[in-house]
Amino acid sequence: MNVSAFYRAYTQPDFTPHERERVEIRFAGLHWRADRVIQAVFENQGYRAAPMPAATRDDLMAGRELADIGQCCPASFVTGCLANFLRREAARLGADEVKRRYVYVSIGSCGPCRFGQYHQGYELALRHLGMEGMRLLLLDQSRLEQAGGGGLEVNLQLSLGVVWAILCTDALQSLEYRTRPYETTPGATDRAAADGVALLCEAFRQRPRHGGKWSALAWHLTTRHFVRALQLVARRFDEVEVDRLVPKPVVKITGEFYLQTVEGPANYDIHRWLEAEGAEVYPAAIAVWLDYLLRVSIQNLQARVAVDRHARAKLAVAKVLQRLLRWTFERMRRALDGVPHALPEQAELRALAAPYYHHRLAGGEGDMLVGKALWTKRHRAAHMICELSPYSCLPNTMSVGAMAGVLGKHPDLLYAPLEVKGDAEVHALSRCQMILTEAKKRAQEEFDAALARTGLDLAEARRRQAARPALRRATTAIPHRDVVGTGANTVLHLAAGRA
Amino acid sequence: MPIPTLANWFARLRSGPSGDRAQLRIGIPRTLAIWSTHQFWLGFFAALGIAPRNLVFSSPTSEAQYHHFGRGRGTVDCCYPVKCMAGHYGELVFGQKRRLDVLFSPMFHSIPSFLDGAVKTSLSCPRVMAAPENIKAGFLKERDVFGERGIRYVSPLLDFGEPALVPGQLHAALAEVIPGLTLAETTRAAAIGWAALQRFDAGLRAESAAVLGACARRDAPCILVLARPYHMDPGIGHEIEGELQAYGYPILWGQYLPIEPALMAWMFGAEMQRGDIASPFDIADVWPSSYSANTNELLWAAKFAARMPWITCVIRLTSYECGMDQPTFSPVQEIVERSGTLFFAFQELDATKAAGSIKIRVETIAHYLEHASGDIIRQKRRLMGAGCPLEDATSQAA
Repeated sequence: MNVSAFYRAYTQPDFTPHERERVEIRFAGLHWRADRVIQAVFENQGYRAAPMPAATRDDLMAGRELADIGQCCPASFVTGCLANFLRREAARLGADEVKRRYVYVSIGSCGPCRFGQYHQGYELALRHLGMEGMRLLLLDQSRLEQAGGGGLEVNLQLSLGVVWAILCTDALQSLEYRTRPYETTPGATDRAAADGVALLCEAFRQRPRHGGKWSALAWHLTTRHFVRALQLVARRFDEVEVDRLVPKPVVKITGEFYLQTVEGPANYDIHRWLEAEGAEVYPAAIAVWLDYLLRVSIQNLQARVAVDRHARAKLAVAKVLQRLLRWTFERMRRALDGVPHALPEQAELRALAAPYYHHRLAGGEGDMLVGKALWTKRHRAAHMICELSPYSCLPNTMSVGAMAGVLGKHPDLLYAPLEVKGDAEVHALSRCQMILTEAKKRAQEEFDAALARTGLDLAEARRRQAARPALRRATTAIPHRDVVGTGANTVLHLAAGRA
Repeated sequence: MPIPTLANWFARLRSGPSGDRAQLRIGIPRTLAIWSTHQFWLGFFAALGIAPRNLVFSSPTSEAQYHHFGRGRGTVDCCYPVKCMAGHYGELVFGQKRRLDVLFSPMFHSIPSFLDGAVKTSLSCPRVMAAPENIKAGFLKERDVFGERGIRYVSPLLDFGEPALVPGQLHAALAEVIPGLTLAETTRAAAIGWAALQRFDAGLRAESAAVLGACARRDAPCILVLARPYHMDPGIGHEIEGELQAYGYPILWGQYLPIEPALMAWMFGAEMQRGDIASPFDIADVWPSSYSANTNELLWAAKFAARMPWITCVIRLTSYECGMDQPTFSPVQEIVERSGTLFFAFQELDATKAAGSIKIRVETIAHYLEHASGDIIRQKRRLMGAGCPLEDATSQAA
């Protein structure tokens, strides 16, 4: 028997401030728009940084091979993506140089699900790869200031930049998804979105630096810098011609954070697949998640008001922060002529979910998964909900189970919960397609009913649309009435306006 | 016993146990965190005047229980300790000779832990936390089964790891079902519940210390079970530890290891002096993400096993699809094996007891224990040095 020293957790050298010039920060991905603009935020702060490449099926396999068995698929995708990236770079530069050249930054949480334990998978993978000593920085998603090993200073200026980048790109993403299904020139929306992201990157690179906390906060809240950048984006989207007189089912994406956010093989490229199947996608804004995190803080403080004398003061601050977040997003949305979807009220999501799922149950989307489904129905925001949960996701399996009670009370809700393993695409997509077929029928019926209700036929509706060129612009917001689909709402709008 | 003060004296007069309370029948599913908190509930409800015979825990988990009472009530595929809960609910709703008045199924947001103060937080697993909402849906999706049977379903969310918050949360949930209940009375009853739970835990720790002491006296091996509290349920843990005990090896559970200061100083003192850890209960050296109560205790118990000479073998039990255990597989195994201690894992435990393969594995484990335990004890004693308080007890006993 050979007894060695006691086991110790993964250790790594510090990332020191003097290394900033030559070390490249690699961060785990959201969707491509947010990734690019966050890169600009880092560059604005004097860091060399780049997002990780989009995770692929090969990454999933590598993640499964290198980490402990039974990982949820987001963890496997992210772990494998890191491992394969390091393998490629090590083949090119050598392992020691890779360890010197890169620092990997990932967002985690302090429980309760294993999202906060992903680092264990990364560390195990690095040990198996012989890359022990590669520097990993795990940042807590709920804190705006924290130690990053000295080399990465997570201060308010950086955090506000990241939050504002998310808000701007959320608004842009929503505009993009409300445009592409109706574009008359294929590819025009993608080109406008790419140009829009480039404009935002430039705006974030030009962001003035503020040394003080309060001055940074005040500047971000009061400046029109980002609003102006988004207005330029809107003018670029003006050039995209659309024809909205098409009945298309609106599909709202919900689910686990990673799977609902990324766009690529990790979620079977579901956004593009749905569009290819004739749907309009209602994407999951990251801002809703930020709003929810603030709500969680507020709820935790509310639970302690009777026993913590500072709780009321902290509660007031948290509520102000939440209002500021929502107000800022609304500014961004208005800068894009009000076309992007607004944020749902967290209080309403909580109230809707309450009979089925307690608001303080933590992990994953919490009560939002239930709340969003009922909110969608109440506000006629989508014909169907596509809910993406990783196989074996701890919290989401619980809220998906609670949805059984919701469907018992609301059997007309079109709800497609997809368990995503990463390598069972046909199964998941065919399941989605079954519900989508029903959603398409509803969209068509609703469109026909709107025509019948207004006494218009499609030819007359088109004639009226042609007479109002603004309606052919992507940046013209169509008022949302008592129907779901963009096509049906356009018919009602045309009937309400001048002939 | 609480000291009567003017405030609680009058409170008690106003809300003392009534005839109604004595008749009230409360059912509690014997699942998940109830396995580590049941003594609290016994003390708490007794203090509120609920007759012990009217506090009904469901039976231990079994396939028959799920088959008779839970089939068709599941809403999602998940780990068996949660899935089987439908059978427990069903047994309490459909399987009682005398109808229950209340089905009480708390949602534990956090759980008290002896590691509190040395770890980041002591949260519950998200599934442990939310399981009642999930299982409830299976009894409400078509019609309100509880309502039809005249059963009040009470499922408070409890910050059980923060005792100051618990009375208010319990009072809000129970005021409507327990006649005349006041917050002051709930607070007193909760204090009695905590005391009962602490007495029970301390008693089991003392028994574990006695077992280890006996092993030290004879230089004999024992086995540590690393598992979640609900693996003590014979339908979930499948009594694997019992099969090993039949070979004559004493069994310890990681949740109830001795923690007296002298023993802790001997086991962890050198590492504390070096600054590796801040206290005997610090697990940052092996597990920086110390936010989950049961996971934290599991990691700590693995460290304990690595340093305790007479624990020569660790048995790890894990249920099918346990996402909280999954990231700990390698660290726990490495903590144990680097010390030379034997490590065996029974993973993916589900409803079915794989009796044949368990028997074969148990025979293998017993074989290794018989042949390797002597060397392991000698090696670990050399590693840890002299002065173990358990050995002092040996000389005193001698």
